[in-house]
Formats: sequence, structure tokens, C-alpha cells
Amino acid sequence: MATQTNAPLPHGHELGEYRIVRKISSGGFSIVYLAEDSAGQKFAIKEYLPSSLVKRREGQLVPEIPAASELTFRNGLRCFFEEGRALARIFHPNVVRVVNFFRANETVYMVMAFERGRSLQEIVLRHRGRQPGKEVLPERHVLRVFNLVMNGLREVHANRLLHLDLKPANIYLRLDGTPLLLDFGAARRALDAEPLKLFPMYTPGFAAPELYRRTQQLGPWTDIYGIGASMFGCMAGQPPQPADQRELDDKVPQTIDAMADRYSRPLLDLIAWCLKLDALERPQSVFTLQRALRRIHLTPEAAQKPSTAARWFDTLASRAGTRRRDGEGVTQPG
Amino acid sequence: MRFTIYQDSLIGGRASNQDRMGYCFTRDSLLMLVADGMGGHMRGEVAAHLSLQVAGASFQEEAKPKLADPPAFLDRALRRAHREILRYQDMHGLPESPRTTIVACLVQDGRAWWGHAGDSRLYLLRGGRLVTRTRDHSKVQSLIDSGLIEERDSGSHPERNKVLNCLGSPFEPTIELGGDVALEPGDTLMLCSDGVWSAFHEEELVEQLSAESILSGVPRLVQRAVGQTGAMADNATALAMTWEADDATGVGLSSQDVPDGAITTTIAVGLIDETAEGDAITEDEIERTIREIREAISRTGGG
Repeated sequence: MATQTNAPLPHGHELGEYRIVRKISSGGFSIVYLAEDSAGQKFAIKEYLPSSLVKRREGQLVPEIPAASELTFRNGLRCFFEEGRALARIFHPNVVRVVNFFRANETVYMVMAFERGRSLQEIVLRHRGRQPGKEVLPERHVLRVFNLVMNGLREVHANRLLHLDLKPANIYLRLDGTPLLLDFGAARRALDAEPLKLFPMYTPGFAAPELYRRTQQLGPWTDIYGIGASMFGCMAGQPPQPADQRELDDKVPQTIDAMADRYSRPLLDLIAWCLKLDALERPQSVFTLQRALRRIHLTPEAAQKPSTAARWFDTLASRAGTRRRDGEGVTQPG
Repeated sequence: MRFTIYQDSLIGGRASNQDRMGYCFTRDSLLMLVADGMGGHMRGEVAAHLSLQVAGASFQEEAKPKLADPPAFLDRALRRAHREILRYQDMHGLPESPRTTIVACLVQDGRAWWGHAGDSRLYLLRGGRLVTRTRDHSKVQSLIDSGLIEERDSGSHPERNKVLNCLGSPFEPTIELGGDVALEPGDTLMLCSDGVWSAFHEEELVEQLSAESILSGVPRLVQRAVGQTGAMADNATALAMTWEADDATGVGLSSQDVPDGAITTTIAVGLIDETAEGDAITEDEIERTIREIREAISRTGGG
């Protein structure tokens, strides 16, 4: 926002054992920095700094917390802790890695492994409309990337956690094309005896109906809707119709069918399955979903077009490669 | 839409701040809210907090990205907030309902509408002059209306704190709707609690708010309101928006930056119990949690 934007920590600031290189991004809840340790290793550090509750002016390190906001600020820490706790338990190549967590400047910091690449959203936006009538992301890439995303998500669910905000902006592709699940800011303990007290904010289009209505039980099926919506986004170039509108007039089945000239029927059926409005009709576990995904074989024509695939990733790699500035093109949502 | 917006609140000399403020907007619609939880009743801050959440949630449900009927929305959202407060009373078995005054303003298609209950006010300023403001639902205002006292004596009237209309009372509130005013570039809309307006003469308030950008003017106004009334100062809250229209001034923020279908909000969504007293995270809990997270990291081989 142009107003009430908090000043980021200055370049070169010594934060614990790290040195701030620059701000990567800022969101309503936090600021993410690129930082280095004394050995020159790079990290992404997320600073808890809700812009509606605290103010930090240029030149200040410690934010000013108005007395009226103090309680909300401190309780907001719980959400930040939940994200740290969630990620600390997971060590998986397709899930962002938390390596440190500490207090400083009267707030808290989460240190994550820093990797170079781009979010799927950026990739989709770049490829959308380039060749009218052509697929946004070729089928072989959709299958390969989401198979790995599902590996990461299985690990998340195995730790009794739900991501609850799966969307292309939160799936990051490293330069070698392997995906990384990011931003567990909405993550919640799943399957706990106690029902959820705090419902996360959701992203229209990618969120399952149970995240809107807040009546049905959230579960793996909620993240499965997000996976289906993300795959849809990578294929159609735009998010599916928001779930609340679908309940009135569902246009999703016909938009899926309209992609039949570009994608195989089994893949389209799989997405339709993930995007069922009734949670019980969706795949009930990522394992089930992944098994179905792995049964989809590329048609001979699709398989025989290695050049498209190679070109696609070559473009990605060369773009990142030609810009040698550290962290160019990297997003870590705040 | 392009506009500048700023909100600020100070606790004053009170033990707690029962005022709540917030705004949210989509690409085409902006909702601003100030609520002043009533002291002298139980949990005034809960009523104010709930009202903002309910109105904010209604906005999120209906502004896609525009509201079909802005004044009808304001009426419906504030009445829904009223019912939620009564439901809260019922759920918690409170002997008395929490109450709040409220003022809400909606901007869409370059026009503004507002609604209020009680003595939280809206001011519309143009070119350094007051165009209009809301009339309080208070004992003092009714005395002024019937010619029994003069406007300028109202600040010192013994019954100046008596509010005749609010959300959360056992009586259905009156939501007084106003507006459908076409905004001009440079117009400022300000919503505030009585802790702000009662500290100034009206000319003084208008002058101060017109003298500088609201980005510095609002915090200064709130600061002065508290400063002038000293140790007994009431909670003081103001939220102001200066309309920049759609032109390319580059001033303020543009709602075009809001992605299609998304909403920007300063209102926390969640259940009220999350912010209730006694539920605050303690220093011990913070330290313990950080220790646990660091242990978990080292167990999974990080660090």
C-alpha cells in the first residue's frame, strides 16, 4: 500500500548472525529480505510486521506499536509461530526449508533457505497469450511439476498440517524446474480434536467452498481443491471461477471441457475431480490423487514434442542465467 | 479509484481503547468504518470489534468488485452487526449486551454514501470548507434540534455523553443513511469517534484537517484531541480518505493494484475470542514457542 508502508530494515543491517542485502517483498503481514551470513551463504528472512498494527519509519529499527494494537500484534505472533512450527518439522525437497527462528527488534524473524527461481504465477503470466489458442503450460510440465508438488504436500499432510492457501503464487520453481511449496502463512493444524478457531483469509478462485462457508470440515480435500485449481490456472492461464459463484451457476465443467483441444481427457478429468464442489466427491488424500496422476500417460504426439518442453525450460533458465544479479526474479511472498 | 487513506487511534487517559477502525476495498468499492464501544456497558470493545468484522465480512461477500446497492448494503451490514452483538451476548450469557456507536462510509463510482448510529461522525470537506456532517443521535443533539440549547454550548452540557441510538441495545437501531454525494478531486471524508470531534470547535476541526495532507493531519489531529483533554482524555480515533479520482496524479494509492476478485483489508477476520482480554500471549509463551521451533529445526537437520 502506498500509505502506512513500513520502512524495511536498511541495507547492510546486522540482524543476528545475518546481514540484510535487500528487501525481496512485503505483504500486509510481513517483509521478506534477502540476507547473507558471514560465510556469504544466502537466506530469505521473513520479518513479522503487520502493516495495519505497527509503524516503522525510515531510520528506525524497532517498530512503534500503538497501545491499542499491542494485544492484536502479540496475538498475531501466534499465526507467525504456527507457520514456523509447521515448517520446522518438515524436511523435504519440495517444501520451503526453515533454518532458524529468532527474536530481535521487538518482533520475530523466520530464516528460510534461499533458492533462485520464479513462482508458477509469474511463469503463467509470462506465457499466457503468447501463442493464442496454445496451452499455457504444456501437459508434460503440468504432470511433472504437480507430481513433485504432490510429493511435498504428502509430507505436509503426513505432519498433520494443511497448507490452505495453495495457488500458483505459492508454488515456486527452482532454476532446475523442481517445485517448492512456499508461504505457509495460512497453515493450520489439521485433524486436531478441536475445531479450527481462526479461519485464514482465502484467495478467491483457488479456495475450496469450505473455506468460504466455514461450515464443513477442512481436510486434505481442501488442499486438493487448491491443487486442482492451481493446475487449472497453469493450463487455462487464469484461476477457476470462485467457489461461491460456482454454487449458483457452475461454469467450471465447461471451461475444463473447452481445453480438450490442448490437454488430454484423463488430465482434464483429474482436475474436474479435484474441483468437485462437494468435498466428499474429491480425492480424499493426496496419495489417491497422485496415483491417478501417475496413471496419465502422455499421448504419442505430446511425448514426441521434446523441443517445446526443452525450449520452455531453456527460456526460463537462460533468462535467469543472463541476469547475474543476486536473487533476480525471485519472489517470496510476504 | 485513486485515493489517500490514513487511520489512527489513541487510547487517551482510559484503561483500554474501545474504539475500532478499519477499511477495506476492492478494485471498485471502498468501505470505511469507525466504531466506538460504549463504556458504562459490558465489553464495549467487543461490540465495536464485532461490528467491524461483520461489516467487513459482508463487504467481502458482496463487493465483487462492486456493491449492487450501496445504501441498502450499509443498512443491511450494520443491522447484521447489531444482530451478531446480541448473538454474542446470548452465547456468552451476558446479563447486558455490549454496545457501540458506529459510522460507515462507502465509496463507489466516484460517489459516497454513509450510515451511522450514535455519535460517531462523518465529515465531508471540500476546498477547506465543511460540506456536510452527520447529526448525532444524542441527548444534546435533540436539545439543539428543539432549540433548547445552542450548538456551541453542547460541549459543556452535563448530558453530552448520552447516546440515544447504538448497535447492540435491546432496541432495533436506527441506521441513518446519508449521501449519494458525487466526490470531487481533493474532497476529504473523515470518520471519527467523539473523542476526536468533542475536543475541537467545528471550525477548528475543519481548519486543521484542511491544512495539510491527511497522512500527517490525521495523526496530528488525534494527538491534539488527546492532548487538549489531558489525563481524562477519551479514546480518540480518526480515519480519513482524500479522493484523488481516477486521474493520473500518481498521488495516494490506486485500487487498480488490487487483483481482480481480491480484497484489501485492515480488518482482521476471525472470532472475537482471539482478542478477548486474558487471551494475550505471554512473554513465557513467546520464549517457549521460539525454543520449540528451534529444537524442531535442529531435529529435522536444519540450521
